[in-house]
Amino acid sequence: MADLLPPLTAAQVDAKTKVDEKVDYSNLPSPVPYEELHREAFMSLKADNFEGLRFDFTKALNQKFSLSHSVMMGPTEVPSQSAETIKIPTAHYEFGANYFEPKLMLIGRVMTDGRLNARLKADLTDKLIVKANAQITNEPHLSHAMFNFDYMGSDYRAQLQLGNSALIGATYIQSVTNRLSLGGEVFWAGVPRKSGIGYAARYESDKMVATAQVASTGAVVMNYVQKISEKVSLATDFMFNYFSRDVTASVGYDYILRQARVRGKIDSNGVASALVEERLSMGLNFLLSAELDHKKKDYKFGFGLTVG
Amino acid sequence: MAAKGPLKLKFKAKAKGSKGGSNSTSSSSSSVSSKFEVIKDWTNWSLKKAKVATHYGLIPLIIIIGMNSDPKPDLFQLLSPF
Repeated sequence: MADLLPPLTAAQVDAKTKVDEKVDYSNLPSPVPYEELHREAFMSLKADNFEGLRFDFTKALNQKFSLSHSVMMGPTEVPSQSAETIKIPTAHYEFGANYFEPKLMLIGRVMTDGRLNARLKADLTDKLIVKANAQITNEPHLSHAMFNFDYMGSDYRAQLQLGNSALIGATYIQSVTNRLSLGGEVFWAGVPRKSGIGYAARYESDKMVATAQVASTGAVVMNYVQKISEKVSLATDFMFNYFSRDVTASVGYDYILRQARVRGKIDSNGVASALVEERLSMGLNFLLSAELDHKKKDYKFGFGLTVG
Repeated sequence: MAAKGPLKLKFKAKAKGSKGGSNSTSSSSSSVSSKFEVIKDWTNWSLKKAKVATHYGLIPLIIIIGMNSDPKPDLFQLLSPF
């Protein structure tokens, strides 16, 4: 369920208390939100590699309001029945408006083909957050929307998700000790009629994070991230599906240097990928992305520039 | 053909009669189900209108909220590319 939608990562302040000899069970820190369980591992292992040219220009009109213009040119994959991937070269321009306030965040992006991508995050009270994510297209029956209601307790978080075409989900995560948090999720989808349940656990310390997640759809994900130093962290991940017997293991790294950030991974499916973000000057970032899929013989290279 | 004629008419009359009978007994449940139909149709109509309104109006709404936040930006800043 967590991989159907990209996680809405709000700016989270890590309230990790230092480890004392005695654990104060009545004062445990708030756990990580359920959809961000694998956050550290996915930063190195699921970096957004792209293909083609990408140019993003963000213009801030004041502290809270900014406009963004984005041009993307390159081949996009079209899902096809055969084993070969079919790529069609496309070019589009996307205009976006963002409004950020401590209690309200609104992001809207509209493309030249009329697709609108909207995100909303509002703090109704200091414990209840509403998030909404919608993709609206001109074609009928291809739009979808998802609403999340998050309640943040002192050492737990609960979330209710409602989506169009009758999708209901709920997740709950609880801090058990200073370092360990356990959670579970339940979802019911109207079309196709199926329901699922999953469990997750996360153990973290200052230097490492280990998470595991099992779902009744058959997916088991386990990952481990070790922070070697302030600049370097290594991650490894193991996913398998016990119904379709698909297994994937990957190892990745994330180097945060002063002027650049390099992330790369190699996979058991024969995929090696890397993403370099270099800060050329204040507000100007240069991106290089490469993904080599040796098994499918699909090589993707991309470059881009981000201004502002 | 001639034999089938009255048979067909009899069948039709029976069907009409049974339908009439069932209609009278289930008129209350049909009115309840028709209320559900009305509510369902009304929610479908309002969701369609909400989708069109969001599609056209969300970006202008964000721009209006942003242009009225403080410090208030200029219209020139909105339209110029730098």
